[in-house]
Amino acid sequence: MPKFLVLYKWTLDEQDIKVKSDDLSLDASRAKGKISDFDRNAIEEAAAIVEKQGGSVEALSYGTPTVKQSLKDVLSRGVDKAYWIGDASAETADAAVTAKVLAAAIRKIGPYDFILTGEGSSDQFNQQTAPRLAALLGLPCLSFVHKLEVDGAKASVARKLADCTELATVTGPAVISVLSDINKPRIPGLKQVLGAAKKPSEEIALGSLGLAAEDLQPKASRRSVKGFVMTRKNVIYKDAPADAVAKLVSSLAGEGLI
Amino acid sequence: MSDDTFDAIVVGAGPAGSACAYTLAKEGRSVLLLDRGNSAGAKNVSGGRLYTYALELVEPGLYERAPLQRKIVREQIMLMNDRGATTVDYFDPGFGEAVPQSYSVIRAALDEWFAGEAEAQGAMVAPGVVVDGLIEENGRIVGIRTGEDEMRADVVVAADGVNSLLGQKAGLFPDVKASAVGVGVKETIELPDELISARFGVKEGEGAARVAIGCTEGISGGGFLYTNKGSISLGIVFNPEQAGRQTRHIQDIFQDYKMHPAIHALIEGGTSVEYGAHLVPEKGYHGIPKQLSRDGFVVVGDAAQFGINTGLIIRGMDLAIVSGLAAAKAIIAAKQPADVGTLYRQQLEELLLIANQQAYQNFHGIFEISRIFREYPALANDAMQFLFRVDGKKPKPMLKGLLDIVKRNVSFGKLLGDGWKIYRHI
Ligand SMILES: Cc1cc2nc3c(=O)[nH]c(=O)nc-3n(C[C@H](O)[C@H](O)[C@H](O)COP(=O)(O)OP(=O)(O)OC[C@H]3O[C@@H](n4cnc5c(N)ncnc54)[C@H](O)[C@@H]3O)c2cc1C
Repeated sequence: MPKFLVLYKWTLDEQDIKVKSDDLSLDASRAKGKISDFDRNAIEEAAAIVEKQGGSVEALSYGTPTVKQSLKDVLSRGVDKAYWIGDASAETADAAVTAKVLAAAIRKIGPYDFILTGEGSSDQFNQQTAPRLAALLGLPCLSFVHKLEVDGAKASVARKLADCTELATVTGPAVISVLSDINKPRIPGLKQVLGAAKKPSEEIALGSLGLAAEDLQPKASRRSVKGFVMTRKNVIYKDAPADAVAKLVSSLAGEGLI
Repeated sequence: MSDDTFDAIVVGAGPAGSACAYTLAKEGRSVLLLDRGNSAGAKNVSGGRLYTYALELVEPGLYERAPLQRKIVREQIMLMNDRGATTVDYFDPGFGEAVPQSYSVIRAALDEWFAGEAEAQGAMVAPGVVVDGLIEENGRIVGIRTGEDEMRADVVVAADGVNSLLGQKAGLFPDVKASAVGVGVKETIELPDELISARFGVKEGEGAARVAIGCTEGISGGGFLYTNKGSISLGIVFNPEQAGRQTRHIQDIFQDYKMHPAIHALIEGGTSVEYGAHLVPEKGYHGIPKQLSRDGFVVVGDAAQFGINTGLIIRGMDLAIVSGLAAAKAIIAAKQPADVGTLYRQQLEELLLIANQQAYQNFHGIFEISRIFREYPALANDAMQFLFRVDGKKPKPMLKGLLDIVKRNVSFGKLLGDGWKIYRHI
């Protein structure tokens, strides 16, 4: 019976992040945490397979100490046990650091048949965690997965590429990253929410993973994050409809848009 | 507690539900607090001034932990016509002495905090859960339904707000009638905190609360404005039946209120960050359903239609908290679930909620005088204009001038009649 590990990121809910109009900086003071969107699909996929055919699902997240707030949510989504690494280093970690931390943790708590994660996170969307992690662990990696079937240690996947679909099979252990159309994540019901309170979770101290200081040193560092604002021309043609349409068309043509 | 049974299930994590769950959990009762919002308060938009005494009743000093905005030290009444406004401003920095009398609040923050306090006392809090039914056995309510799940409890507390689905399902009262509620629309406008202090003439941490009369195009209702930290809450509450007969849209009336020179100067340069609409119980004492409980079931807060609107004061949150507390005390004191109803009534009396409702019980009748919402505010402004006008022309004799203004806006007969009516209702 397959043993799943789902990796998830606790991100800020972008809905509540505001772009300040003066300098386009971001105001996240009202933003709450959420499980990154695609990771929710990964959790759902593993949980649904296990609910149907047996097996187990555990989850692991590396984040700032606020990641602890995610436990109730993740455990109400069909996960049996959650591991978390809450450390300030996550604030500046790049994809390489994140993959090293996760790989080290998996060596400690593994092995697993299938390690699932979302294709990219809702905040950075680097799409690097799965392939980097697979490389570090020496495992095969299947990305862009929008269909997954598991039979014992064997998985059959459909990968959604630019203009075609690729079917592939892999024998675990393997790393698989999924797209949002693979399923519709559940909205946990009351019993699942209450059940979450009784499920186990375990903190993994970053210091216990045997990583060297340089492993935690990001090579890419973020200089700034700014909102992107589309500047509109705000032109309204108030003439009679026929004239207004003619003016609109000629203006669009003038911009080289049609 | 067995796996699926609680001493109490509280539905709705507004002020009523959280006050109830907090008190029960503090006494060691097993309590489940449910709310349909993704976090408690996520969907609650009401404007806000909270009278502090209610939190003090729950636990002395509790208010000091709450995310309060500004201590209200200015009470303002503004009578508007389309030109200008006459504002009465009562400034009292010590209002309430040791415990300040009231604070402006932002509901999303307040509700999340209060539910968190209940959780810290040991209540099980589950947001994102819509309760869609009650479980009834042998005439008793024994639990709730949500989707596929059922959960049982000795007592279900319906704190689900003004349009209480659970109270209706339990058969305590029918669906809300348009005549029994007001509709409130509210907007939050962000502005630099220092600018707000300067515009309202208050110190940091202190604020103003304003009611506005004459901004509803004659519809029974009024405007309100509260200063928060870094924002202003602005809105109007109006009678939906009268509004329905109007040709103008409420959003246009609200827009005019915002653009009125006396209001616009206060919010100018701000950014609108939130907009919402909600119902308010309007009938006061006479709107409270005869029956507030059944075996295994009680209604609290807006669900029980508790609310006081004197035209100058809007109270709902404080009564919600007091009634939530009353229900909790009743559940704690009850030897068996069947006793809760009677004990709840007693607690509502003891905590003076009923006495407060009764004191204003006939106020609602005053709002039937339509002239309060247009003619009288206009009269006040005309009178002010007359009293302050200096243009070198020959002034009318004082008394005659004022009487002419009265005559122009209302007739003497109506003035006397309305005066008598108000006197009777107070
Ligand atoms: C515009 C406006 C301005 C106001 N201004 C003031 C003021 O300044 N001062 C004041 O004291 N009062 C004011 N009030 C009144 C005040 O908002 C209410 O009296 C108060 O919110 C009542 O609290 P409550 O806990 O009973 O209900 P609510 O605050 O309405 O909370 C009910 C909760 O139940 C949840 N719920 C409902 N149904 C379900 C369900 N089926 N399953 C799960 N959860 C459910 C809702 O999500 C909600 O969180 C104002 C109201 C409005 C509309």
